[in-house]
Amino acid sequence: MEFEDLQKVWQSQSAAPKVTIDADVLLKEIRRNQRQFLAIIRNRDAREVGVCALMTIGFLYWGISSRWWSMYLLAACCFGVGTFFVVDRLAQRKRRPVKNDSLQACIESSLFQVNHQIWLLKNVFWWYLLPLLVGLIAVAGSVVWAKREEGTGAMVVTAIIYVIVYGVTFGAVYWVNQYAVRKQLEPRRHELESLLANLK
Amino acid sequence: MSAQNQEAIFRRWLDEHLGLMLKIVRGFAFAAEDRDDLFQDVLLQLWSSIPAFRGEAKETTWIYRVAFNTAMTWRRGEKRRRLGHENFIKLDTPAHTAPSHVDSVAEQEMVESLYAAIRRLPKVEGSLALMHLDGLSYQEMAEVLGISENYIGVKLNRIRKQLADELKGATYGV
Repeated sequence: MEFEDLQKVWQSQSAAPKVTIDADVLLKEIRRNQRQFLAIIRNRDAREVGVCALMTIGFLYWGISSRWWSMYLLAACCFGVGTFFVVDRLAQRKRRPVKNDSLQACIESSLFQVNHQIWLLKNVFWWYLLPLLVGLIAVAGSVVWAKREEGTGAMVVTAIIYVIVYGVTFGAVYWVNQYAVRKQLEPRRHELESLLANLK
Repeated sequence: MSAQNQEAIFRRWLDEHLGLMLKIVRGFAFAAEDRDDLFQDVLLQLWSSIPAFRGEAKETTWIYRVAFNTAMTWRRGEKRRRLGHENFIKLDTPAHTAPSHVDSVAEQEMVESLYAAIRRLPKVEGSLALMHLDGLSYQEMAEVLGISENYIGVKLNRIRKQLADELKGATYGV
């Protein structure tokens, strides 16, 4: 059988298959879905930036009222992380894949986004955990120092508790991020790379 | 673009190009549930793309682009945003049953075999096969995929041979 025969049969599929669509219901659903999607994005951004802003204000207030200099440092670290979030989000907004681009352009921008996401998560220690850790270590140092009147034993115990709590919490956050890279983002990257290779 | 214009264009595209959208969906997804998912995604992306449509590209080229880009990044079984519960479409024909507009049983079987063969191809080749079977020119295919016409020619030679070979053994009474 020649390809032209196949093409002829293929094209005999009418342009009007027997599928009925209720366009009114569909449009209503699409609009609702689009609103939901935009709300999800807005809420996610607001949550990330909002938490950083609240923490900055909270620690700043705490610092002013308690006169603990380490709280100022922690507030500054939270502000830095929040600023990084905002700048990164704004920079990435311009490079979102556009579905009406050519396939190659769309895959390239999707790949760029996935690579950026991998970079962010692989380096989560440097831009997220470390700044917070610096502030928190300063706070822990202040608390431990405040225990000096209760003796060295109390200082050591307090320090150990902080080390364990910070270690477990930050270790878990780091592990979750690396797991997401391994299980979700890297397979996605390979998939997009092989699609792109097929186009070149 | 006003919301009314967007809606008018969307309704017209549904009227005029539904067959094209469904062919692409069937070329990428086999199970009814997957087809339903992918079709919903294609419709959502088409709706969102309309404000950017200036009429510089042909409507079919635009729809191919949006639908292929959506299908390429679509992942089977992935939990995703769904349209609501209101049922606006039924894509519930069993996988082995072609739409009734295909003339004979033999032709229905051949079309089904073609869809199956296309789904076995790598995604990019599958897209090319769908467009080639629909009779798009090399230039149109190049516009959709963003690659050179020469490269398309090379790829299509392989795809034509592969599809013809796969369906060679079968007899469909054509």
